[in-house]
Amino acid sequence: MFEKEIRRKSEELLETKTVDMVIGYTSGSLPFQARPVLISSPEDTEQLVWNHFSSPNLARYLLPYRDSSKKIALLAKGCDARAVMVLIQEKQFPRERVHIIGLPCPGMISKTKLEKELGEIKEEDFSFEKDTFLWQGKKWEIFPFLEDTCSRCRYPNPPLYDELIGEKRELWGSSSTDYLEKINGQSEEERWQFWEEELSRCIRCYACRNACPLCYCKECFAESDLPRWVSGVPTLSDNLFFHLGRSMHLAGRCVECGACERACPEEIKIGLLPLKVEMIIKDNFSFEAGLSLEEDAPLLTYRETDPGEFIK
Amino acid sequence: MKNNWEPKIVAFLCHWCSYAGADLAGISRIQYPPNIRVIRVPCSGAVNPLYILKALREGADGVLVSGCHPGDCHYLSGNYFARRKFFILHELLQWVGIEKDRVQFSWVSASEGQKFSQVVEETVEKVKKLGPAKKLVKEFTFHV
Ligand code: SF4
Ligand code: SF4
Ligand code: SF4
Repeated sequence: MFEKEIRRKSEELLETKTVDMVIGYTSGSLPFQARPVLISSPEDTEQLVWNHFSSPNLARYLLPYRDSSKKIALLAKGCDARAVMVLIQEKQFPRERVHIIGLPCPGMISKTKLEKELGEIKEEDFSFEKDTFLWQGKKWEIFPFLEDTCSRCRYPNPPLYDELIGEKRELWGSSSTDYLEKINGQSEEERWQFWEEELSRCIRCYACRNACPLCYCKECFAESDLPRWVSGVPTLSDNLFFHLGRSMHLAGRCVECGACERACPEEIKIGLLPLKVEMIIKDNFSFEAGLSLEEDAPLLTYRETDPGEFIK
Repeated sequence: MKNNWEPKIVAFLCHWCSYAGADLAGISRIQYPPNIRVIRVPCSGAVNPLYILKALREGADGVLVSGCHPGDCHYLSGNYFARRKFFILHELLQWVGIEKDRVQFSWVSASEGQKFSQVVEETVEKVKKLGPAKKLVKEFTFHV
């Protein structure tokens, strides 16, 4: 899966001092996991990995270097690159200090889904090919095991890059079990039941927010003292307040990477809320985040013909 | 629900149009239900969606946000920006199962005292149908 090419390219970029640092993935401490790694010396590029578990959104890791003078190379799947574009547009990182190594995304696999379907599994028993894998002498399709966000991915290919490693890929077919569609078709009462059930489990650990490349506020409204919007106690109403408030803050900015949802220790389908907001914006204001450096963010502009029938 | 229950509705009114419209209704002695608690804001564009959530959290049964008609904003375009935010919030609230009529919006100009009273009547009527709010109301009180 182009791991060698990625290592070689990173080594070259560091050796020629084109960049001061490479942000990529290395093996996680648990199987079926990759974690972000920051590499500054060419010999360490051997640590880099690129596989179906390279899921964290690396754009998040640019932010601490915003005010430095470091030039950084970043491995970027479709969603990472979209997040970088939003950061550039919001002046959180200068374009000229980030070197984007674009990686058409093979789709990230959910370890939870693998275990659910296959039982006890060992990493060394798997061999991955394009869109399939071999396990116990049998060939399996990857699609049913993809992370929810990946199975509905619309932009696997990075929309912005300085160079591309790998071949551009097609979209996956649509998933009929997608929660977004399911909830869209439900009654008010059913929708409430769904969210009541999901959000009563929230322990307000803020892992979702902390994993999000676009939740970079120095002080989050959820933890501000003056004004105090919500308490820190994870009651259903305050959980709902936090997630609705956060989704509004992500309006026109969320890049549908699903980092929030994967970070959640309670397996709450939390990425659906900012995603729904994105769909509202796409359908009504024809805008999608992280696809252009020029177009105005949807809440920074308006049209006289915007929907207004809901106003008396 | 008690028979004599009356909804509490927080109304965010923009200084230049809707607040003046409410004033006109007052000086013209036009009657409207006393359920609203008015908060004057400089512009409907200054209404942070968090204000609306906060009002519901603190126990409002409904929220009304009212500003100048499109094209009439004192700051030229504040209400156009507001319209986008409110549209998104309104759709999102419904999507998590919060009743659509808990949060209502209107355009009322400084000369529309009559319209202001109608808007309040309609708002109160719709919130009454829904009964007391429960879904976003805080479950305990904290002191800052
Ligand atoms: S990560 Fe999950 S449990 Fe933690 S605050 Fe977010 S939704 Fe709640
Ligand atoms: S809200 Fe979730 S899906 Fe959207 S950009 Fe943030 S982490 Fe990604
Ligand atoms: S939820 Fe809102 S205030 Fe908190 S970090 Fe995200 S964008 Fe900032």
